[in-house]
Amino acid sequence: MSDDRIIFDNVSRFYGEVLGVNRVTLSIPPGITSLVGPNGSGKTTLMNLMAGLIRPTRGRITILGIPPGRPERLFRLLGYSTQFDSFPRGLTGRQFVTTFLSLAGLPRRQCRELADRAIDRVGMTAAADRRVAAYSKGMRQRIKLAQAIAHDPRVLVLDEPLNGLDPLIRAETIALFRQFAAEGRHVIVSSHVLHEVDMISDQVILLSAGYVVGEGQIHDVRSEIEDRPMQVLIRCDRPGALASRAFQEDHVVEAQLLSDGGGVLIKTRDPVRFYRMINRAAIEGAIIETIAPADDDVNSIYGYLIGGEESSR
Amino acid sequence: MIGLTLRQILAVFRLELGKTFLARRGLWVYLLAFAPLLLYAGRAAYVPAERARLAEMARKRPVSGLTLWTIRPGLSADEVLGRLGEAPMRRAWTRRAEDGRRVEHMVWAYTDGRATYSFRFRDGVLTEVNRHEPDSIWTASLVFATLFQTYFLRLAVFFGCAGIFMNLFRGEMLDKSLHFYLLTPVRRPVLLAGKYLAGLAATTLIFTASTALQFMAMLWPFDGAAVRSFMAGYGWSHLAAYLGVTALACLGYGSVFLAAGLLVRSPIIPAAAVLLWESANLFVPEALKKISLIFYLQSLCPVVARQDSDLPVAIRLLIAAATPATKTAAIAGILGFTAIVLVLAGWRARRLEINYGTD
Repeated sequence: MSDDRIIFDNVSRFYGEVLGVNRVTLSIPPGITSLVGPNGSGKTTLMNLMAGLIRPTRGRITILGIPPGRPERLFRLLGYSTQFDSFPRGLTGRQFVTTFLSLAGLPRRQCRELADRAIDRVGMTAAADRRVAAYSKGMRQRIKLAQAIAHDPRVLVLDEPLNGLDPLIRAETIALFRQFAAEGRHVIVSSHVLHEVDMISDQVILLSAGYVVGEGQIHDVRSEIEDRPMQVLIRCDRPGALASRAFQEDHVVEAQLLSDGGGVLIKTRDPVRFYRMINRAAIEGAIIETIAPADDDVNSIYGYLIGGEESSR
Repeated sequence: MIGLTLRQILAVFRLELGKTFLARRGLWVYLLAFAPLLLYAGRAAYVPAERARLAEMARKRPVSGLTLWTIRPGLSADEVLGRLGEAPMRRAWTRRAEDGRRVEHMVWAYTDGRATYSFRFRDGVLTEVNRHEPDSIWTASLVFATLFQTYFLRLAVFFGCAGIFMNLFRGEMLDKSLHFYLLTPVRRPVLLAGKYLAGLAATTLIFTASTALQFMAMLWPFDGAAVRSFMAGYGWSHLAAYLGVTALACLGYGSVFLAAGLLVRSPIIPAAAVLLWESANLFVPEALKKISLIFYLQSLCPVVARQDSDLPVAIRLLIAAATPATKTAAIAGILGFTAIVLVLAGWRARRLEINYGTD
């Protein structure tokens, strides 16, 4: 089981007196997993721990059964695109990707083929023979991504990979992540941009000040937050009647008519009884067009768990 | 497995070698390495001028070389004056001895047109005879030995190795590009070996090329027959020994500075500490002299460097060369030391972390 998972077993990492992450226990399955949290929350620390760039002060980590202290095995199945925006001097994009492939001991021809394929997948073929120093921020991001995926890894770790990408390239890059995940691989992504995380993630890990404050599928995490009423947006033909009916239920704490008159936002403490109520209304003739959770997203969850500041980003 | 390791070392070596040779920040290493050529160029200009000066002096006060050879310590100043006549160059001074007595010192210099003979007197008695021939290959090889052991080994190779080997890891830390290496399926000791070999190839090539060019420049002022005779005698073996010492210096100092670049954040501190120890080696007792690379390197040099006889006795005692190690012991000492330092560096490399200070 642990051979297809990324395992953190009670891992702590301190930088002298400063806390990096504390008592992190995770078991990350394949798919797209987003690390969410503000600066200093420990996202990069977690990623660097996975890649063995730093060692845990306490605890144990394995990546598909391999400890990060065995680079000769780990980096045959893991690719990491770091947040560091610096490159070895004097190399073109193609040389950059090929050179670090060659360190794996692969024949030159195979290195060139793998590099060309990876460069093509990130849409950098036209610029591959220009020096990296002349690249824009977005191009540097993409060539780092090419280097991370060139050896076809089973685990892809990406620190803020969408930073600096224009909307078209961003969409293509997200599609690439999805393709990786669909092939049963791990894609670990960190991001500040919560609506993007929402769009791409199969699961999230919410971090605050070095602690994991929530993890799992977004919906599951939301359902575990019991002290916050769930918000549901209902579009229907008679929102006033539905709001009036909702007020008669003791689990409903608020019902708010939408300004366009086409629906109602209801806050409930008991989703099960709420959905029963909606079913009864439908049976009695109300035309319900859509029912959608209004706070079942990373933005809201992060706000509930950590506070309002980051949820607005 | 061994094949893969060798391929990986070769890949790291190739990448590093280009960077090490072409690094802009390493240009000063070339200056340091080839600076002695300027001195030899100066010497090539000085030798003919000095020859002309001695010939002129000999013309004014002719003294035969044979007569000069008969002058030995123990003669009185009057006896020397009787055999050679008035000295064309004289110097005299008085110094108080430890018992408070005043001692008269004199130096008289003569020439036979080829060499300068200096006679040092103490209270009117000849105590020391020095012969200096500006255009002899023997003199030139002494100059070469002195420059090689003082400037070249202690400063040029030392700082050149510091600049190149410390940069292999520390430089990439500063550039924030070391993590790319650590994200490849290469064991850290393999990475270290590739980088070390690249640094060693670069420094050995630069400094042995400089040594060979200096040796050629040393011989430049002499006529072809004298040079051929010198090379047929011990010239080639001297050159080979100097090249070997240079390569061993790169090997030993390289390992020290590679480890220093891994161990400490600021490489200036270990560089200063090693420099201090290697320099202090001149002034430490014989037993301690042996705990340094410079002792073994000097033991392998084919010509002993000159020591200035004007230095006070106490310091001359201190700087007196320790009994040199045998060639085998010296080479084994350097190789053993290098191996130990590289093993320690490999252990440190396994524990190396990347933290450029962002999170």
